Parts: sequence; structure tokens; C-alpha cells
Amino acid sequence: MTAHESVHDAGPSLDDGDLIVFDNVSKFYGEVLGVNRVTLRLEPGITGLVGPNGSGKSTLMNLMTGLLRPSEGSVQILGVSSDVPHALFDHVGYLTQFDAFPERMTGRSFIDSFLRVHGFGAADARRLTEAALERVNLVDAADRRMGGYSKGMRQRIRLAQAIAHEPGVLVLDEPLNGLDPMARSEVIEIFKGFADEGRHVVISSHVLHEVDMVSDRVVLLTGGYVVAEGEVSGVRSEVEERPIQVLVRCSRARFVAARLFEAEAVVQVELHDDEGGLLASTRKAPRFYDALSRLVLEHDIDVETVTVADSDVRAVYAYLIESEGDVQ
Amino acid sequence: MSKVASSTAASGAEASAGIDWGLAARQARGVLRLEIGRQLFGRRALAAAFLAFAPPMLLVLWVFNPLDAMQGPLDATPLFAGLYAGYHGTALFLGCLVLFMSAYRSDILERSLHYYFLTPVRREVLTVAKYLAALCAAALFFSLGTALLFFMTFVPWGFGELGRYLAGPGLGNLMTYVGLSILGCIGYGALFLLFGQLFRNPVVPGVVFWGWEFLNPFLPALLKKLSVTFYLRSLYPVPVSTSTFAVFADPMSPWIAVPGLLLFSALVLALASWRARTMEIHYGGD
Repeated sequence: MTAHESVHDAGPSLDDGDLIVFDNVSKFYGEVLGVNRVTLRLEPGITGLVGPNGSGKSTLMNLMTGLLRPSEGSVQILGVSSDVPHALFDHVGYLTQFDAFPERMTGRSFIDSFLRVHGFGAADARRLTEAALERVNLVDAADRRMGGYSKGMRQRIRLAQAIAHEPGVLVLDEPLNGLDPMARSEVIEIFKGFADEGRHVVISSHVLHEVDMVSDRVVLLTGGYVVAEGEVSGVRSEVEERPIQVLVRCSRARFVAARLFEAEAVVQVELHDDEGGLLASTRKAPRFYDALSRLVLEHDIDVETVTVADSDVRAVYAYLIESEGDVQ
Repeated sequence: MSKVASSTAASGAEASAGIDWGLAARQARGVLRLEIGRQLFGRRALAAAFLAFAPPMLLVLWVFNPLDAMQGPLDATPLFAGLYAGYHGTALFLGCLVLFMSAYRSDILERSLHYYFLTPVRREVLTVAKYLAALCAAALFFSLGTALLFFMTFVPWGFGELGRYLAGPGLGNLMTYVGLSILGCIGYGALFLLFGQLFRNPVVPGVVFWGWEFLNPFLPALLKKLSVTFYLRSLYPVPVSTSTFAVFADPMSPWIAVPGLLLFSALVLALASWRARTMEIHYGGD
């Protein structure tokens, strides 16, 4: 079985000890619904959790990793209950959305220190720290204090911390947020490498396209409910018919816009008033990101932000929800 | 590389396995490495150090102008007992509040507690290690603070007199007061660590508890015993005169007061550990 087979293709050889299992899980914050009656069985490989902001993705991930406790139901990861953290986190790494660090630490000491908290000896912790830093391409900045890191560097150091102990299950909450195109492709290769080794990678995103790039199965969430799960290919063609909007803050925005048009990567571009960025509409997101990456590399463009404009994501998502019957 | 090798597969049986004490000790050392640095050199350490060392430094005036009625260190012994009572009741109390309540609360405010919760360290081990780190800092600050207070009180008569006093009852008294400071850190610390877990603003219950401790001499004999200060005062080597309105209660024997305070601290720490096991991370709500 390959790492990228669908959740629906679960073979009889896999038992609960190989799976991530949500059994009728609900979480309420007082009277507010977090997630409701979620039942899932996730196989090794890359699974995308997709939904708009507030749909319950982070809640589901926090439940999976024991940061939250289910109001009802149970979660098991590789046969270990999520409420037994001391048994769970030998095998699980989690990149949360909390963009904060213990104060005054360098990147290297951050990873090394928490490997020591895992129980690794000094030599092993040092070796794993270096390996993780190399994997996220952050060796050069490792001895700087994290307070001075850019958003992309903070995201990468947190990813390094999540993968440093070589977990069998990697849970990633919006892992591509804040990364420039080059860093995105590097990070995506890391995810694929993990999945190809037969590990679980669970990625959340409010952008279907991001999940599409790395996984071939998704769990669609809205309002705390799982509304669809299955292969991305079944919904991809419908999504591609509708343009998504990408916000780019960069230098030489007018030049970038012209080149994106030339490459037929966009259907519409609005330049920002300060000419320090643009809002692009594209029907071919992979082509758009490829074209943008080439521009950045070949013309020395400084990119501050690349993010999908939220309102449009909501529209795409609403469209997906309306097509629920076709997806499943 | 035993740990990496062991992390390739999981099973339900593993979850229910007994404690691996060797692993727990390594993890506790890992937590202590992080926490001791924060407790000794973080922002809160400055406040605690100020509380520990400011009162002795205030005695500089006294060093140059001791009371004429006092002929030597022996005469100043009751004075020191009173000063220590005040030091214990304010500086040590507040210093412990600052250090121990931040053990969990500062991680929650920094939004970094999840890094601990995402490691395979048992919450009990985490709680005890955080407590020990804060205790190291508090014991260091307030042991030195107590010794400095002692020195500043008795040095006006010169080092020769001070040496003779230490050769007599002085050294025993000094050791007892330092021990009392450490014991105070142990007792207050466990309670304040729990406050830091339970309350969004632990200063409020801390101040209420301070009021309770302050009023201790005036409480009925039975209620007196529901405090830390009562047990500590029972161990003072030199009795402290209290207000005429104070209510008398038999002091506790050291053989009851010391183990009692340690047992109380252990119970509170056990409660804090249990609380840590049930804690969830949703910083927005904190």
C-alpha cells in the first residue's frame, strides 16, 4: 500500500494501531460547538483538513494531540489514547497555530531544550537538533534569538521543533502560513518525504489548493461538522473552474503583475495603491505559484507576504459545500 | 539512541505501562534546565531579588546608628526576631507569590505552555520540576536575603562581636532562620503554584491569602492552624512579641510543624499535578 491511498481504500491489513481514529468525538466550549460527532479513520499518508476559519480544524487537531479533551467520544493515535500524553508524544509531532515561543531563546536552544524535555540525552538531542535545522534550512539563523525571526523563519523553526524527534505522526495546523514560495516548496517536500516513509501527516488549511498540492485526500469541515471526506481529485476540477484570489505584497508589484499576465497565470490583477503589492485572481493556482516563484528567483523580487484572500476562500468553500453530494 | 529507536511504534499497552523512572528523571532535568534559567534570570526574578534584598539593604542606616540602649548583638536578638517576622510575612511571601505563580501562569500568558504539553513528559513530572526550579530560585534569594538581614542587624558592633555572637547562639539562630525561609518557600510555593494554575489572576487569591496570614495572630486558636505562618512562627528560635490583641495558641512542636508543613506542601503539589493532567490549552480563554 502506498502512503497516498485514500481513506476509503483502507485495506484489511491495517488495524487501529496503525490509524488515527476519531470515534464519535464532540467538543463543546460551554454552549459553543467546537466539533460535533466526528468519526474518522485516517491511514498513513497525507490527509488534509480543509474548512473556513472557525470550522473546527484546529479544534480537531488539538483534540487529536490531547491539548483539548473531548466532551464526548474518544481519539486514538496509533492505538494510544490522546489523553495519555506521555505515551502519545514519542510518536506525534504537532505544529500548532500558536505563534509564540519561550522568551529569549535561540532557534537551536529551543529545539535542543525541548528534545531534552522529551528525555533525549545531550548527544542525541544535539544530533537531532542539527538534523531538524538542516531539514528546514535554518542552520545559519539557528543561533539568533527567535524574537528577531521573520514570520517565515518562526514557522520553520516551529516545524523543526515538531519534527525533531522523528515522529510517526505529524500534525500541522496551517503550516504554509507566512512562507514565501520557495520556503513553501521546501516545506511541502518535507511533508511528502514523511508520508513516503509511511508516516501520517495531517495538514489543515483554509485553502483547498494548498492541500491539493500535498495530499490526495481531504476531510472537509464546516461549522464543526465533517461534511465530506475523500480524494481531492474528485473536487479539484470543480475548484479549478473558479478563480481564487491571492494577495501578494512584494517589491516591483507592477512588473510582477505584467509578468504574471504574460505567463497566463492570472485572469485579473489589482495593484495596491502604494504599488507595494497586488491582488491576483487565478484559475490555475499551480501555474500562478510556479510563475511567481520563477519571478522571485530570476528578478530578485522581495516578497513580504503571499496569502490567499480569505473572502474568496470562503466562496470556494461554500461552493464545495454546495457540491457535497458530488464530492463523496 | 535508545529513545529514537523506541519512538517508532506505539501501543495501547505502552500507555498503561508503569513509570520509567530513568526517563522521568531525564525529562525532569530537561524541564529544570529550562525553568531554572527563567526563574533566576527572567523578569520575575528581578522582582523576587528586589523583595529578597531590599529589606536588608534598608538596614544600612541602622548599621551606622545602632540604638544606644543595645550594648551588643545579644541585645539585638529580639530585634532581629521581629525584623525576620516582618521579612517572612511580606518579602518572602510576596517573592514566593511572584516566582511560583509564574511557574505555569507565565507560560500561559506567553502562549508557550503547549510546548511542554506536546512532549511525552508526564504532567506530574512537569509540575514537580517546575516547582523545584522555582524553589531553587526562591530558596537561593531568600536564604541569602535572610543571611544578609542577619548580618546587617548584628554588624554594627563590629566583626569581632559578630564572630563571638556566631560562635555562641548566633550561628544556630542564623541556620534556623535560613531553614525557616526555605521551609516558607516550600509551603508558600506549593500553594502559589496551584493558584497560578487555578486563577487567571492569581494575585487576587494571593492577596486574600496574605490578609489571612497577616491576621493570623488575631484569629481564634483553631483557625490559626489553617495557615503557613503559624507553623513557621512555632519554629522561631526567639519568640516574637505580638499585639496585646493577639490570641494565644500553643506553638507546635518542631516534630509536628516541620513534617506537617512538608506534608501539606506535598498534598498541594499532588493537587497541582492532578490539575495539570486535566488542563487544556485554549489561551484565548485564559
